[in-house]
Amino acid sequence: MAKDLPVTVADAAAMLRAGELSSVELTSALIARADLIDPKTGTYVARFDDYALAKAEQADKDFANGVDKGPYQGVPIGMKDILAVAHGPTTANSLVLDPAWGEGRQGPVVNRLEAAGAVITGKLTTSEFAMGDPDPTKPFAIPYNPWDLTRSPGGSSAGTGNGIASGLFLAGIGTDTGGSIRIPAAWNGITGLMPTFGRVPKSGCAPLGYSLDHIGPMARTARDCAAMLGIIAGYHPSDESCVDRPVDDYVGALTGDLTGVRIGVERAHHFPLDSDPALAGCFDTALAQLSALGAELIEVTLPRYDEVNAALNVMMAAEALAYHHGDMQARWFDYYALTRSNVALGAMASAADYVQAARVRRLAQRELVDVFATVDLVAGPTSSIGAPTSDEVSGPASSEIWWTKCFTEYWDAVGNPALVVPMGFTDRGLPLSLQLAARPFEEALALKAGAAYQTLTDWHLRVPPIITELLAAA
Amino acid sequence: MSEVAIDSDITVRTLLAAAGLTPSEAEIASLVDAYPRHKAGIESLYAIPETRYESPALIFNPTPVFADWSE
Repeated sequence: MAKDLPVTVADAAAMLRAGELSSVELTSALIARADLIDPKTGTYVARFDDYALAKAEQADKDFANGVDKGPYQGVPIGMKDILAVAHGPTTANSLVLDPAWGEGRQGPVVNRLEAAGAVITGKLTTSEFAMGDPDPTKPFAIPYNPWDLTRSPGGSSAGTGNGIASGLFLAGIGTDTGGSIRIPAAWNGITGLMPTFGRVPKSGCAPLGYSLDHIGPMARTARDCAAMLGIIAGYHPSDESCVDRPVDDYVGALTGDLTGVRIGVERAHHFPLDSDPALAGCFDTALAQLSALGAELIEVTLPRYDEVNAALNVMMAAEALAYHHGDMQARWFDYYALTRSNVALGAMASAADYVQAARVRRLAQRELVDVFATVDLVAGPTSSIGAPTSDEVSGPASSEIWWTKCFTEYWDAVGNPALVVPMGFTDRGLPLSLQLAARPFEEALALKAGAAYQTLTDWHLRVPPIITELLAAA
Repeated sequence: MSEVAIDSDITVRTLLAAAGLTPSEAEIASLVDAYPRHKAGIESLYAIPETRYESPALIFNPTPVFADWSE
């Protein structure tokens, strides 16, 4: 079964149009795959099997009638369970979220994907409210990494990440406030894009950080992410932070040629002493491959790195506490343990501290203009390690992992887009990842670089051995 | 308990009480333990002279558009 099914959205789009496979057949096969694999990976909060098959049937009818809505028509995708979907419940992986908030309605990102013919297969596991690491005392599945089921798939878009890597759907939606698209993409060996702040409307999504939240695509390839971004990007009046600016042709930008592209190489903040031994070699090889594609490599240093991360932590906690204040007073122990401790930090800073953090973010944006005057992209590893164990991210040391071994927060704080693509493996067989950050609203360039890199590599197409074994035994 | 530790303990308990939050003693201890580092991060934000006249990345819109996200 595995070798007959498409691995990427682009493959699926071609097969659907060539009549090699119908959307109903594809969706049915992935439903069967979910029956087998989801109990091990903890991908889904809720599955929409019947709804998905109905949407798949409609997609097939549309194809038969000459209606072609684009590359995501008939393609099964997953939706992180902090975005409301009219068909089913939204929980934010929490006992606390009021079910009435999202009941029977959905926001612009979901509407745009359904209008494009995408088949939403269900709601996916997330860290509680995109913030709290898994808590075994709560009645929600714990997500696991398909590369090693004792390890974390990262978060908060855990189910989107491990579901794509496991082949349960071909792409999905994640959200990113401190790294929650890019870390699960990195640790699951897939591709993820955090768009520019305001590029994609974030209304209809339970907030974590009002000034920091981003909704973005996750898939196996940069090309598939580009196609999804073309669907979900664009102004919507319901999100005040959404920028009214034309949407680029992200797929059209994927020329494969990086001639003239200047890539800044940031090492100063990306290689702590306890980095995985394979990290530097994988990173240098990736850089060499980007150079072979025509890119010029220039060493750079990101300004105010530690201070920007500190600013993000102050503002994210304050914004989260404002949202959760009443519920945290009334229902403290209904929250996950790590959600409680993370959000409580919002009480540890003053209003003036919040404003000062916002000033630091603005200063960093100002100083980044000088960096991006000399380069077009900034490259660094996404994380210094492969996926940690599930115990490590469930305990008090989890914050240390996010703060010192993941290099994603900086770009959330300054609002720039950042793409992550797989770049190899650790000696334990865990994925390592390359991050490419661009100027605001230059997602097309980051995607172009990522897609070009993926013409020389196949890390993004690798299937976890566990998954191959499970499918073979089925 | 050291002076810093006493100070952190008092500060964290006061701030939690002011916010109306009621963590367990174990959770309070964890927050007290984390507080010096958190406070140091906050102080580092004020230690940048170049922010003295910088505007904050906060914008108030006097003419907001009110639209329902589900429409």
